[in-house]
Amino acid sequence: MLFLFIIVPLLLAGLLPLLGKLSKRFLPDLLASAAMLFLLVLSVVSAKPLIAGGGIIQQAFWFGAPLNIRLLLDGFSLFMLFTISLISFAVTLYSINYMEHYGAKANYYALLLVMIAGMNGLVLCSDLFNIYIFLEMAAIASYALVAFGRGHEELEASFKYLMLSAVASAFILLSIAIVFGVTGSVSFGAVAQGLKTLNIKYVVGFCSALFLAGFGLKAALVPFHSWLPDAHPSAPAPISAMLSAVLIKVSGVYAMTRIFLNVFGLTPALTTVLTVMGVVSIFVGALAALGQNDIKRMLAYSSISQIGYVVLGLGIGTPLGILGGLFHLFNHALFKSLLFLNAGAIEQSTGTRSLDKMGGLAKVMPLTATTSAIASLSIAGVPPLNGFWSKLLIIIALVQAKMHVLAVLAVLGSVVTLWYYLVLQHNAFFGKLNEAWKGVKEAPFWMSAATVLLALLCVVTGLVFPFIIKSWLQPAADVLGQGISVALNFVGF
Amino acid sequence: MHLFLLIGLVAFSIMAVLSRDLLKSAISLAVASIFLSLVFFRLGAVYAGVFELSVVAGLITVLFITAIALTRNDGDVAESKRHLIVFPLFFLALAVLDILVMRKLLGQIPSIQGAESGSFSQVLWNQRTFDLVGQVGAIFAGVLAVLALFRPEPSKGDSHE
Repeated sequence: MLFLFIIVPLLLAGLLPLLGKLSKRFLPDLLASAAMLFLLVLSVVSAKPLIAGGGIIQQAFWFGAPLNIRLLLDGFSLFMLFTISLISFAVTLYSINYMEHYGAKANYYALLLVMIAGMNGLVLCSDLFNIYIFLEMAAIASYALVAFGRGHEELEASFKYLMLSAVASAFILLSIAIVFGVTGSVSFGAVAQGLKTLNIKYVVGFCSALFLAGFGLKAALVPFHSWLPDAHPSAPAPISAMLSAVLIKVSGVYAMTRIFLNVFGLTPALTTVLTVMGVVSIFVGALAALGQNDIKRMLAYSSISQIGYVVLGLGIGTPLGILGGLFHLFNHALFKSLLFLNAGAIEQSTGTRSLDKMGGLAKVMPLTATTSAIASLSIAGVPPLNGFWSKLLIIIALVQAKMHVLAVLAVLGSVVTLWYYLVLQHNAFFGKLNEAWKGVKEAPFWMSAATVLLALLCVVTGLVFPFIIKSWLQPAADVLGQGISVALNFVGF
Repeated sequence: MHLFLLIGLVAFSIMAVLSRDLLKSAISLAVASIFLSLVFFRLGAVYAGVFELSVVAGLITVLFITAIALTRNDGDVAESKRHLIVFPLFFLALAVLDILVMRKLLGQIPSIQGAESGSFSQVLWNQRTFDLVGQVGAIFAGVLAVLALFRPEPSKGDSHE
């Protein structure tokens, strides 16, 4: 059943370019949205009950015949699958209207589906080399999606992204090769057992540094962030949303966290490095966002800052810190995708991304203004919205871990976040309506439906956060909190 | 010997990146690839060596050179339609030649005969099946990327289904 998370998007991606010849819009829109909804339902209804008694390894089948593919599902991977499916569904709904003017919708959806299949494969694998393969699969699709508009800016951003991702891949591959060289295996269980037995802390330290650089590049952590402010704004808005909300988290944060916490084991040195990198990312991203005039570029820098919170929480390594980090990961997926989708709606209606040229858009785009305000307040950590609770958990975890300076810095980072989001809201939606935008209309139905869905989720997640924590986050945090014993349980599978 | 091969690999890789002439760049890449395949052979990774030599140094270089030959100096695609016939024929001939050479070569590698061949296919098809799914997906992503990025400009008729 778990194999469906990979094979359904992959098969549909193969069919779509052919079906696109029959119907340029209707069939691609319908099938892509149906597939995303199917994956979302599958993660909630079918996959969740599977891990009621803890993590499982499931063998894949192909038309009844067993394949030599074993997929790992536990609280952490299920949480990521759910996040990927949820954002993908919203983004696909939005794309129905937004991608009209790009053309080649079937190819667009096909690439999006391959990217999703890659992310799902990465989340479900139990092997270091599988991580690398699925990382590349998702990355190749994302390079094409960033350049989908084929303008000079898009192609340049995609090339820069490709080059830096190749460097990241080289670091990751080198580290995997060294781990394989010393342990003789690449499976999580065997590597964890091998490293525990061998006691080669310098080799582990070197491999950790390589993974940190590789996955840090993928996650756009400072100082590996330079590609993101170009790549994310240049892509079509739904792809900017997917990249910022999901891809950097899956290929960067998920992979890094899974390896460091469940395979290598978190050491005090790693905790220090991760928390410092987290705080530096919070500030560099936030201060850079403050100086931006391009709305999507501001959001891109904001992603660097918010990823800093996620890594800070996870890096503390305490149960509360991990819980806060994961909660912020989920919340950021919701509000950042919403903000990018709103930026896309504004760009499509006005033809500009420059905040200087906007103003008063709330009068002509009230729905976009409202959902954008909800997302801005959420990301800034205003109670009782979802961003407030996740940041609060991280700050409490920092205080409990006696990292008081980092806790103060995290609060200050949140203040700066509130500042630049108020600037964004003020410049884009409030004040006098620019004469040029008098004829501007609200975003079309499906674009508005997607943004309203995400805005509602931001509010509801904040209001019912104890339920979200209990049902989705705690099982994921427990897996990370158990350390390498999770991987050791699967030795031999 | 290893050092000489590695220096050659790095030197020709740098030349491939720095050269402003696409043809020289493609040839430098091929030479770098030959050095890498020799390193693979010397380290006992014969399969990797054979694939590196035949696919990267051979097939891909020919594809690069063909593509360069089909374009003009200013980067525009040549007006002539001759390539529509020449290219597939050339590609087919190369594929046949490659298969024949590979069959001969593979048979001469001692480690592929007997038990080793079983272990290779076992590793590739049985132990690393999930990798194959990912590799198929990665190749697929590349094909879709080419289809999407080299799509024709939408005509006016495309705006109505």
